[in-house]
Amino acid sequence: MRKLLSAILVLAMILSLVPMALADEEPITLTVFRGDPGDQPADDNKIYKLIEERFGVRFEFEFLAGDLDEKLGMMIAGEDYPDLFDGGNSADLIINNGALINLLDYINPEDTPRLWAHIEPQKARLIEKNEDGEDVLYIIPNYGLTDGDQIVNEVNGPAFFVQKQVLAWAGYPQIHTLNEYFDLLQNFLAANPTNEDGTPYIGFDILCEDWRHFCLINPVQHLMGRPNDGEVLVDVNSPDFHTETFIDKPYAKAYYKKLNEAFHNGLISKDTFVMNYDQYIAQLSSGIVLGMFDQAWDFGNATAALKDAKMDKNTYVALGLVYDPEYVDGREIEEHYVNGSLPNVRRGFGISVNCQCPERIIAMWEEMMSDEWQLIFNWGIEGEDYYVEDGRLLMTEEQYAQRNDSTWKIHNRALAFFESSPKKQGWILEGEYAGNCWDPANQPEIVLGLMNEYDKEFLAAYGYSKFADFVNPPIELAPYGEAWQIDYTPVDVEHQDFLDIQDKMLPELIMCDPADFDALWDEFVEKITPSATAFGEYMWQAVQAEAAKVLGE
Amino acid sequence: MSSIAKGTQQNIRPVRKKGFWRTLGGQWQLMLMSVPMLLYVLLFNYGPMWGWITAFQDYKPKTGLLGSKFVGLQNFQWLFGREDFINSIRNTLAMSVINLVFGTVSSILLAVLLNEVRNRGFKRTVQTVTYLPHFLSMVIVVGMAQNIFASNGAINNLLMSVGLVKSPVFFLGEGKYFWWLVGVINVWKEVGWNTIIYISAMTAIDPCLYEAASIDGAGRFNRILHVTLPGIKSTFVILLIMNIGHLMEAGFEIQYLLGSSVVMDWSQTIDIFVLKYGISKQQYGVATAAGMFKSVVAIVLLIGANYVSKRLGEDTLI
Repeated sequence: MRKLLSAILVLAMILSLVPMALADEEPITLTVFRGDPGDQPADDNKIYKLIEERFGVRFEFEFLAGDLDEKLGMMIAGEDYPDLFDGGNSADLIINNGALINLLDYINPEDTPRLWAHIEPQKARLIEKNEDGEDVLYIIPNYGLTDGDQIVNEVNGPAFFVQKQVLAWAGYPQIHTLNEYFDLLQNFLAANPTNEDGTPYIGFDILCEDWRHFCLINPVQHLMGRPNDGEVLVDVNSPDFHTETFIDKPYAKAYYKKLNEAFHNGLISKDTFVMNYDQYIAQLSSGIVLGMFDQAWDFGNATAALKDAKMDKNTYVALGLVYDPEYVDGREIEEHYVNGSLPNVRRGFGISVNCQCPERIIAMWEEMMSDEWQLIFNWGIEGEDYYVEDGRLLMTEEQYAQRNDSTWKIHNRALAFFESSPKKQGWILEGEYAGNCWDPANQPEIVLGLMNEYDKEFLAAYGYSKFADFVNPPIELAPYGEAWQIDYTPVDVEHQDFLDIQDKMLPELIMCDPADFDALWDEFVEKITPSATAFGEYMWQAVQAEAAKVLGE
Repeated sequence: MSSIAKGTQQNIRPVRKKGFWRTLGGQWQLMLMSVPMLLYVLLFNYGPMWGWITAFQDYKPKTGLLGSKFVGLQNFQWLFGREDFINSIRNTLAMSVINLVFGTVSSILLAVLLNEVRNRGFKRTVQTVTYLPHFLSMVIVVGMAQNIFASNGAINNLLMSVGLVKSPVFFLGEGKYFWWLVGVINVWKEVGWNTIIYISAMTAIDPCLYEAASIDGAGRFNRILHVTLPGIKSTFVILLIMNIGHLMEAGFEIQYLLGSSVVMDWSQTIDIFVLKYGISKQQYGVATAAGMFKSVVAIVLLIGANYVSKRLGEDTLI
């Protein structure tokens, strides 16, 4: 008996050694962190099953709950990193603390031709120099490396938004300036104080919570005719890319004075300054908010909820507003909300230094950049999720609608993994499906064919073919890209002060007695100048350095 | 009598004369039992104190505890040069004191009232209903409070309908209300729970005292004043000393959840400050310095309260 037992033990030990020798073939579980909230996929998710069958890889996802910087700070302090690491908007933190490996050790034209071809056109922007002067790439961007002509069917970034019913009520006017926008909201609210159920409308919402305070502090640059440079305004026409913080400048005062006026006219509720993101989404989803400044992706859940509830007239149109000439010494400002495509630098998955098998992840990504896998991730399984007719990729109304259903998604799409992974976007350039779009949401037959009746009539009233026609077509960016992507961790503390003062005082300015506004504004400028100067000067240098990198100087 | 006393003395004397090691040897079973506790405290309470060294460093996770540069008192200078850190000390202390006063007064009041209730069913129901909120997550409590105190919430509707205010009071967005809001929410959540310990102290009061007081002609109010309250005095003092030791911890969740940028000057506590700069902004040295400052103040407060209590002839904790 004892001999048998020891024999079994020895056998067990030998067997346990075998998989180590064949580690590459052995199924593995990769830990994954996503720097934003999300839904855990279901155990029987069909796409993850395919991945497991083909690559022997399972994923264990952790999504962000709470504050991103706090979470990352904890991970860094404990060097407790997942295998696949998406640091969200704060990836600079994990990169600067040495949490990610250099992908260029594994990616090259010979071993990984597809990945190389994917990053090659934008390598001036993507590949950086580390402290030792070596070429490094920590993250292959999750978005923005597109093939073919840029597709813009609707605005997905920043804009002033307004409910479609407001424009319809006003007889489909053209709204291009700040004054026109607030007059429109004011007039609609005066004529329609409540919705059909008797719930009062809210004229204009301003989300101020945590990092989403861009709804409060970003609009000025857009009103000045610039795309999203974060918290600075860059003069692209000046040879040295003059960069300054805008919030402390006289042209910013006009916007907050306008909001102060709107507040006293009853367009803005006090509660907007203390509401959190969930409350904001709930408010938008109920269809009572007439307008707001935001980025379309930020309230995607609300849009989906409104569509689900067939409240199409309460969904939003993105308007590209600029200052009226009276606010900027009579200048006419040209609107610039939509950009030429730009890689989402330092956003997406990196591979952490704790990962035991980086070469295996790279090999998997390489394989996943094939047309076959990109179709699986984007479109799903042929016959189930889409069909093909005369070389066109198509979806039935039902198939397209279920893509908005969150329950369906956790069973049938691998979004938690795919969203942060390298991916093909834009047009399919070659192969049997050339001429189709990678993303079904861009496919012309689907965008236009499956649009609801309300939207069709709405666009027809304007004589437009798509919602992006409300703003200028994409404008190519200056060489430095968009300044919001720039790493400002060296002036982190100054930047925090800079933001804190805005978070605290801009709501005060909006709510204060109009008679006190000028005095309070002067106080605001005085308080913010030290941190604004420090941050602005740093950003100016950083913008120049970024431009020099891309221009190859 | 004297022989018994002598005998007792004889029994005691040899023990007293034993040396330290012999005493230790004699009680080895007890000592053995305390070893896990000792290890626990050494490992988890004293061990991490080594990390306080980061308060004097420009700590970077990359270089670690041994490789980071020493910067002397620079972290402390930075801290005390910041208005928002001074504000967070003020907020922490203010909210602590409000919580302590509100919490103690309300729970003693409720305990006294419950103690006077003779109907057991009613008493139990009230007790259960009042302590159940203790088990609610702060996230839920704050969510409810945000609805109740919103411009169109229940409180404002009530105030408006009885004509006390003309336009809604902006409870959640004005700094001056914040501390009191925290106090009220804490009372709502914890009053029943805090009552338990006082009620149990009251059950330990000898019923003869009440009888004697009645015979002496004391009414209900006088019995409360002269029997019940003195009876729970020692519990009250011990709890007070313990709470004073925690004065630098005004809570974290409630301020974190209820606060917003517009009331930041009034809502940020030391803990939130530490989280914001220490963890989010990677200023680990500064965060440790702030934490160290907090601990030192807490120790001083605790010893101070203990000393005062001793001088006043009350029970002491240490």
